[in-house]
Amino acid sequence: MSQRLPDRLLSAFSWACALVLTAGVCMIIGFLILKGGRSLNLNLIFADTRPWDAILLKRQVFGGLFPAITGTFLLILLSVGVALPLGLCSGIYLAEYASPKARSVFGFMVDLLAGIPSIVVGLFGFSITIFLHHFYNSRIYPCLLISALSLAFLVLPYIIKTTQNAIERIPLLTRLTAPGLGATKLQNVVWVLLPLALSDIASGVVLAIGRCAEDTAVIMLTGVVATAGVPKSLFSGFEALPFYIYYTASEYKGSAELVKGYGAALILLSICSMLFIFAHLIKMLIDRRAGIMM
Amino acid sequence: MKQVCKLFPYFVVLSIITFTAGIVCASELDAFKGEKGVLRIAGGTAHIPVMKEAAKRIMTMNYDIQITIAGGGSGAGIKQAGEGLVDIGNSGRKPTDEEVSKYNLSMYKWAIDGVGTVVHPSNPVKALSGEQLKGIYAGKIVNWKELGGEDRPINIYTRDKSSGTRAVFWKKALDKGDISAKANFVASNGAMKAAVTNDPYAIGYVSVGYMDETVTPIALDGVIPTLKTVQTGEYKVARGLYSNTKGEYTGLAKKLITYLLSPEGQKIVSDMGLIPVN
Amino acid sequence: MSLKDKCAPAVFAGASFLCAAVTLCVLGFMVSLSLPVLKSGMLWKILTDSWSPDHGQFGILAMIVGTFYIASLSLIISLPISLGCSFFMQITHKGIAGRLLKKFVQFMTAIPTVVYGFVGVFLLVPLVRDLFSHGSGMSILTAALMLGLLISPTMILFFCASFERVPKIYTDAVDSLGATPFQKLFYVILPQAWPGVLTGLILAFGRAMGDTLVALMLSGNSIMLPSSLLDSARTLTAHIAMIIAADFDSIEFKTVFVSGAVLYLMTGCGILLARISGRRME
Repeated sequence: MSQRLPDRLLSAFSWACALVLTAGVCMIIGFLILKGGRSLNLNLIFADTRPWDAILLKRQVFGGLFPAITGTFLLILLSVGVALPLGLCSGIYLAEYASPKARSVFGFMVDLLAGIPSIVVGLFGFSITIFLHHFYNSRIYPCLLISALSLAFLVLPYIIKTTQNAIERIPLLTRLTAPGLGATKLQNVVWVLLPLALSDIASGVVLAIGRCAEDTAVIMLTGVVATAGVPKSLFSGFEALPFYIYYTASEYKGSAELVKGYGAALILLSICSMLFIFAHLIKMLIDRRAGIMM
Repeated sequence: MKQVCKLFPYFVVLSIITFTAGIVCASELDAFKGEKGVLRIAGGTAHIPVMKEAAKRIMTMNYDIQITIAGGGSGAGIKQAGEGLVDIGNSGRKPTDEEVSKYNLSMYKWAIDGVGTVVHPSNPVKALSGEQLKGIYAGKIVNWKELGGEDRPINIYTRDKSSGTRAVFWKKALDKGDISAKANFVASNGAMKAAVTNDPYAIGYVSVGYMDETVTPIALDGVIPTLKTVQTGEYKVARGLYSNTKGEYTGLAKKLITYLLSPEGQKIVSDMGLIPVN
Repeated sequence: MSLKDKCAPAVFAGASFLCAAVTLCVLGFMVSLSLPVLKSGMLWKILTDSWSPDHGQFGILAMIVGTFYIASLSLIISLPISLGCSFFMQITHKGIAGRLLKKFVQFMTAIPTVVYGFVGVFLLVPLVRDLFSHGSGMSILTAALMLGLLISPTMILFFCASFERVPKIYTDAVDSLGATPFQKLFYVILPQAWPGVLTGLILAFGRAMGDTLVALMLSGNSIMLPSSLLDSARTLTAHIAMIIAADFDSIEFKTVFVSGAVLYLMTGCGILLARISGRRME
């Protein structure tokens, strides 16, 4: 009967931990909703400008979140656009073409890249900018393009690892079927393996998108500014949602701005949550359609 | 016919008056008509409210112009302007001769500002002597009760080395005294204000233009830092707000600085709580 | 083989080489841009001095110590909670409750870091200040509390994965012998899974060391060598973010690259250790 005590303690301990964790997170989200819920309206995003004028880029928005949202959107588009092909190819190489030794070495490199603190990636982007500015073309400044490229470096490991894992998870029998019928390695990869791995790769891409949306450290050093309006070119400064939140927390001028900051935090949280749910749905949907047992 | 001839001189005078009035009332913003391009501004954070308002008016009038404004402090403004990374580098202190010659800077002063010590509105301490202020920042006076306040430790806030506000405060209010290593660092005037607003036992220093009812200015040696006392020179911890460009100002930078020095621009300066130079 | 088949491996390999090159370039840039500092023999001084640019001192010791304190404290806070949650999910409440918690923890990974920092500034900082009646509320403790919450999902998911990897044969065997959950945990699962737990710890520590926003917003950023939990401190990451505004030619700025190199090497060692302990898992 004395055996019951350790079990009861274990159960109590695990309940306590689960509750602490859940309570902590719910406090954070609840606090945001409480303080920022009332600011969630079109005025938060478009301020004094009429929404259609702003979206059609006929007029600038001042004091609203629209420029920051477009900045974040463009960042995601550019950085995932660069990281996706690069990551896909590397993942395929590591899963299919690399020798075990190469796999080990490159695998270590990818882990290293994944482990680099985001601020160091930002510092790298910044130093490349200065380097190019001095030696190549003095019209190169920290800008949207540099930020997007640095972010691409940041999310590359996500895409590489998910691609590699997705392809390696395919059962050996399935992987050998097409070559057994005479297909070349490339045909096997393109027509059999990739479609099978699609759902995992897709959720990896959505993970990368989420990372781009929320990162602040990299863009802080490579071109984001507090005020810029909607970005007009790849080579100009830009605003972004996470930087807006950080900036508001450090230097809000009165409770009106602070409430906008809460609203912005809620919007960013919602965007990231929706991406998370979207990734899950993709996995479920594609797996169901493919009818795969993996 | 005779009546028309009689009225004719009045008509001429009226049209002359309307014509000249039209020229005078034409907005200084018209200089930006037909321009396009990107204007990059960075540097002192005390300048930001004025810059933001001017940028808003210009960008509203002309959609093809994009003006980006970043902070970073006066040091960053000067260096980035000198390196050609921005078109206008703002500084809350006059660039040193060394900086001017190294980067070939042109400076344009468009406002005067003061740097005042601030505490939380609930703090009973309202005045300090210069010696007491130096003692607080050096870390020698550590508790508010030594100054007649509550029995709580003093939380010091300061800016980083790039800040012009800090440079002026250190030189003129602290007489280049030490700043304790325990001080909390904030990155801009706005951040300093937010920090003091949120901490009942804080002490910090901020641009007079940023002061509002959420922080209480401290009288230094009997003089409260307000717009008036800075303007009359009674409050000595004052500085000019400069915009610097590499070489002579040209293009959009020239137009913006001219706009800031125009009556319309100087009105923005005084609206934002600073002292216009004109 | 067609042309496509011949070129494809080269293209794929090229992409991998590019990625590896980027990884090495980052280190290369950090080191080469710190060279002017290293050359003048100041490396030791930079690693051990205090930070006082007015007096010509550019040491980052306080920042290195600050990083370690905050990361270690957040690990200490997060470890029991993460262990408890993974026990909950894998051992004591494997059913619906466990699955719900797992989904919740996965959701936590999606929460932006800046949101943690933002809520920390307005909720946690006043709380700490009033609770301890000391300091501004921005301290090592505040930053570590929030950071502990941030790194928990990483640890929990890793622990769960390593618990699941324990061969079913063992767990089935011990179940059929009538073991209680506690006995199963202590005598079978933990002994088998501890390399995974260790790897998770190391990875979470690396994550905590590399985080910028939470430390920047919550730890006060003073340059003093911290001596108590309630002291204000600065991490290497926050230091880089703050100094980047300084001018590019000064020694002050060059120390940023030394900081970057130190961070890179610290996390690199962590990755290496994690790999070694991960290999022991298999």
